[in-house]
Amino acid sequence: MFDDFGWENLPPLLDGMLLTAFLVVTSGFLGTVLGFLLGLSRTAPSRIARIVSAVYIGFIRGQPVLIILFFAYYVIPLMFPAVSVSRGVTAIAGLSIYAAAYIAEIVRGSMLAVPAGQSEAAAALGMNFRQKLRYVVLPQALRIAVPPGIGFLVALVKATSLTSVIGFVELTRAGRITSTINQEPIATFLIVGALYFVICYPISMVGRWYERRLA
Amino acid sequence: MNPIITVHDLHKNFGELEVLKGIDCVVEEYEVVCVVGPSGSGKSTFLRCLNLLESITSGSVTINGHELNDPKINLNTVRQDVGMVFQQFNVFPHMSALDNVMLAPTKVLKLSSSEARDRAMALLEKVGLTDKADVFPSKLSGGQNQRVAIARALAMQPQVMLFDEPTSALDPETVGEVLEVMKALAEESMTMVVVTHEMGFAREVADRVIFIDHGQIVEEGTPAEVFDSPQHERTQAFLSKVL
Repeated sequence: MFDDFGWENLPPLLDGMLLTAFLVVTSGFLGTVLGFLLGLSRTAPSRIARIVSAVYIGFIRGQPVLIILFFAYYVIPLMFPAVSVSRGVTAIAGLSIYAAAYIAEIVRGSMLAVPAGQSEAAAALGMNFRQKLRYVVLPQALRIAVPPGIGFLVALVKATSLTSVIGFVELTRAGRITSTINQEPIATFLIVGALYFVICYPISMVGRWYERRLA
Repeated sequence: MNPIITVHDLHKNFGELEVLKGIDCVVEEYEVVCVVGPSGSGKSTFLRCLNLLESITSGSVTINGHELNDPKINLNTVRQDVGMVFQQFNVFPHMSALDNVMLAPTKVLKLSSSEARDRAMALLEKVGLTDKADVFPSKLSGGQNQRVAIARALAMQPQVMLFDEPTSALDPETVGEVLEVMKALAEESMTMVVVTHEMGFAREVADRVIFIDHGQIVEEGTPAEVFDSPQHERTQAFLSKVL
């Protein structure tokens, strides 16, 4: 089976893997920044901030990733008619929008997991909202957020495969192209699967290391 | 006489439940007031209204001349003058004992870190924890954590200290060390309001004892008056159970 795979087909798969990793890093980063702000907004004193973030999170979490990607694919070019938006940008934007909603919930949940007494003790010392958040609640919440955050990152790796439908040649798409060339879909997708594992496993390992360190 | 806390007709509802039903009370400077009463009587809620950790349903609380219900008030500024010690300590678990004490002086009062460190070390010495300065709360006993919490509150140099059942969550053998620290504070003329079940402490240290039941002050007076010759039958019934 692997004899007929044609090892000259491996470099395109590795390119696809790199692009998948690139998608995870970029959308993971942007999603974390945006998600962090949204998560904070969910607990902010401002009512408007709370409502806007709640609507965003509720709406995005109610959508399949695929629909978000289609939406990004068709809408972003309409929003910026002057520039030609590449598929990569569309893919990153779509995944970031998706990731932000989930990371926001992780951030919010982690902040709620910090006992109320911590915030009260900070308030009793005369700290304002920002000081409480920065010095007391967030340092504790972020530790709580790491394990579910890592779990989500692994889910994000797998969600990147959906960008193949908007024509972005990441690992899954590269696998489909290769399998039509060599007519060896089983061998090809076994290799694709192994390459996904190569990305995901180290991420899980970091998560496990972190949990051990906390324990 | 210089009143630090003036409470007038304080009511507090949690939804339908009326927890405080009109409390009137004045705490003078240098006075130590112990608040006693059965569980669920509203004494902790009363204390938490004094720095607005609980919002006030109606009535007024004035701290150092600042009316807490005034919408224009800067609550954080008022709270800097009101130290609070909690039943569950609420020390910050992600920082050492020293950093717990230094945090508010550096971030809120904007002291330099050397000033804040000197102040914090002096307070840790006062509560007998100089050797634990770099230790994290998870490695300290309940009594030690509560003493860190007291030092942390004192670091803001408050005008009054509120204690919310400070020894109720402690192992019996560490209760004494916390009460000793509180007694020393009282002897230094700190103004204190202490919600407590430690009747021995109240009798020995308090200038005045307030007995609260069902959200009202039933009886108040010197420890001798309240403990030895309680006038009200609810006070008598309560004291017969705890003394």
